[in-house]
Amino acid sequence: MHDQPRAPATAFTWRGIEAGVAAAVPLAANSAVGGVIFGALAAQAGLDLAVSAAMSALVYAGGAQVASLQIWANPIPLLAVWATTFAVNSRYILQSASLRPWLAEGGTARTYGTLFTLSDGGWALALKRWQTETVDGGFLLGIGIAQYAAWIGGTLAGHALGNRIGSPAAYGLDFIFPAFFAAMAASLWKKRSDIGPVAVGAGAALAAHLFVAGHWSLLIGGLAGSLVGVFAHDRKS
Amino acid sequence: MTGNPEIWLAIAGMALVTYLCRAGGFWAMGFVRMTPRVEGWLAAMPSALVAAILARTLASAGAVEIAGVAAAFLVARFLGGDFTGMIAGIGAVAVLRAVSA
Repeated sequence: MHDQPRAPATAFTWRGIEAGVAAAVPLAANSAVGGVIFGALAAQAGLDLAVSAAMSALVYAGGAQVASLQIWANPIPLLAVWATTFAVNSRYILQSASLRPWLAEGGTARTYGTLFTLSDGGWALALKRWQTETVDGGFLLGIGIAQYAAWIGGTLAGHALGNRIGSPAAYGLDFIFPAFFAAMAASLWKKRSDIGPVAVGAGAALAAHLFVAGHWSLLIGGLAGSLVGVFAHDRKS
Repeated sequence: MTGNPEIWLAIAGMALVTYLCRAGGFWAMGFVRMTPRVEGWLAAMPSALVAAILARTLASAGAVEIAGVAAAFLVARFLGGDFTGMIAGIGAVAVLRAVSA
């Protein structure tokens, strides 16, 4: 029983990239809003424009960048900043692992380049699309390109605005990310075999959020919930 | 502040750690044989991780955000597609906040 068909050969096309850019509009909107928020926080923390833009361009991870600003000081606590970055981004290890069956044949340079742009939303959207459409690594890269551009643009705008950004929350703009994942869940959680991973993943994430430290909750929840998939196979065979 | 080399060291380290997370899982799975068990594990990842993301969101959310998540989920599931659901969720949150403010 294979829930997930093994992809024969991964395509990587311009059409896929274009489709990814087109599909990424809501995600890019979220990246732009996030970029504005990060840019404004960075300006308030005293980071100049070049440093803020460079951090967004090289790290390209909103949660980790905002979290690092919270512990930024002079001198910079390097180990704490790097450890926080790892804690916040550790969920990407699970996401990129799950892409292996889909992108193994995608070409080394293209695949590792595409992975630089990996985001939570792009990962979920691409895996959903590949259930029904041709597996095209370009789709994931296209989403990444759109979100990356929006993230950099947002950072620059937010830094320029500084304290004047007002409150995106008044328009529900801080809610794009949760709303996207709630809608994703509606199409991802369809099979009976999803009940175990969902229940264990949510429960473990909540427990980690309450008892360990918030940053680890996604890694712990994702790992615990997905391991149910191993045993689900054992029970069937 | 740009001139301080420590800043660039901090950013370089953050960039390296982040890329190792983004590429590391994919790289490491290249050394694992794709048995049905491993495939079952990876196939369950999206459902589990999306559940974890939503659970953490809801853990620190108020009634308005919980209603927004429910609206996005229900509309996406029973009425329109993903995008309609998203808009419904964002709209619900914006309206409820305006009403309750």
